[in-house]
Amino acid sequence: MKYILPALFLFIILYALCKKVRPYDAFVSGAGQAIPFAVKLFPYLAAIFVLTELFEASGAADAVSAFLAPLFRLLGIPPELSKLVLVKPFSGNGALALLTEIYNTYGVDSYIARCASVIYGSSETVFYVAAVYFAGAKTKNLAAPIFISLFASLCACVFACFICLVM
Amino acid sequence: MNVIFAIGFTVCTAVLLFIDPDGALASMLAGGEKALSLTLKMTVIYAVWLGIFELAERSMLTEKFARLLKPLNRFLFGELPGKANEYVSLNISANMLGMSGATTPMGIKSIAELEKFPDTGYQIAMFFVINATSIQLLPTSVLALRTSLGSLSPSDIILPTILATAVSTVVGILLVKLFLRKKQK
Repeated sequence: MKYILPALFLFIILYALCKKVRPYDAFVSGAGQAIPFAVKLFPYLAAIFVLTELFEASGAADAVSAFLAPLFRLLGIPPELSKLVLVKPFSGNGALALLTEIYNTYGVDSYIARCASVIYGSSETVFYVAAVYFAGAKTKNLAAPIFISLFASLCACVFACFICLVM
Repeated sequence: MNVIFAIGFTVCTAVLLFIDPDGALASMLAGGEKALSLTLKMTVIYAVWLGIFELAERSMLTEKFARLLKPLNRFLFGELPGKANEYVSLNISANMLGMSGATTPMGIKSIAELEKFPDTGYQIAMFFVINATSIQLLPTSVLALRTSLGSLSPSDIILPTILATAVSTVVGILLVKLFLRKKQK
């Protein structure tokens, strides 16, 4: 795997040289787009992260996960994992901290820890993706796509807990 | 997003008012700081990838590559106008290869390109859902963490993870096709 990136870069520059592209000019003009992107991105990230921090500092994350635990249990997700399922769509770092905590509490090779690994690895930070991708976009009505993504991630969590029983 | 923000913000500040009045501003500032450091990180990633990408685009390499993925794109999106086909192809293949740095710049370009055309709501929704449920072939950070904590078989979770991401992506694609396609046409 580690050879893919350098090989890809080498291929791209060689191909560009064959096609007589001026490489320095092209790179500079591409890289120049980075700052405008970042400027558009920042306010959205700020909003998401402020909300995430408030969510955790207020203890709302614990309260909601306690509230949802019975529902998750019905779907086959152990209650120990409900907070992880809940935090993952908002914050990758938060979820990683929880994953580490789960490893330390239950042991790396326990059923709970394996489920947690699969849940962590298989789902995305949906709200973060929404913020980043739509930072400069005109489309603002994202309710349906976000809901679909969250539901699909939940399906993956249920599936993860099931498959870890079998495999 | 406005509804989520309104509810989340109101509930959290209300709770903090009673349990930890000093914590409210502190945690918000901590959030802003994280946002800034992430923005800086993203700027660097954008600069490198967009530079490389411009090279590939000017040499028409991206166009060639997009032609390869056309059947897949047709199945998922139907029509992709303009340069969207190229950007979307690059984003999806970067996703599958786990090149997380490259996906975002391509993603933003894809959406910007799609928005130039009318009636692309379905394509935009599909594109977002694929990214938000993205297929990850190798969960590298989880593997590293498991190994460092002394797991007996850290790689046990690779196959279940691949299957679970496939489940989420397939469910997402089906739901978009089911609920959002008709509204657009």
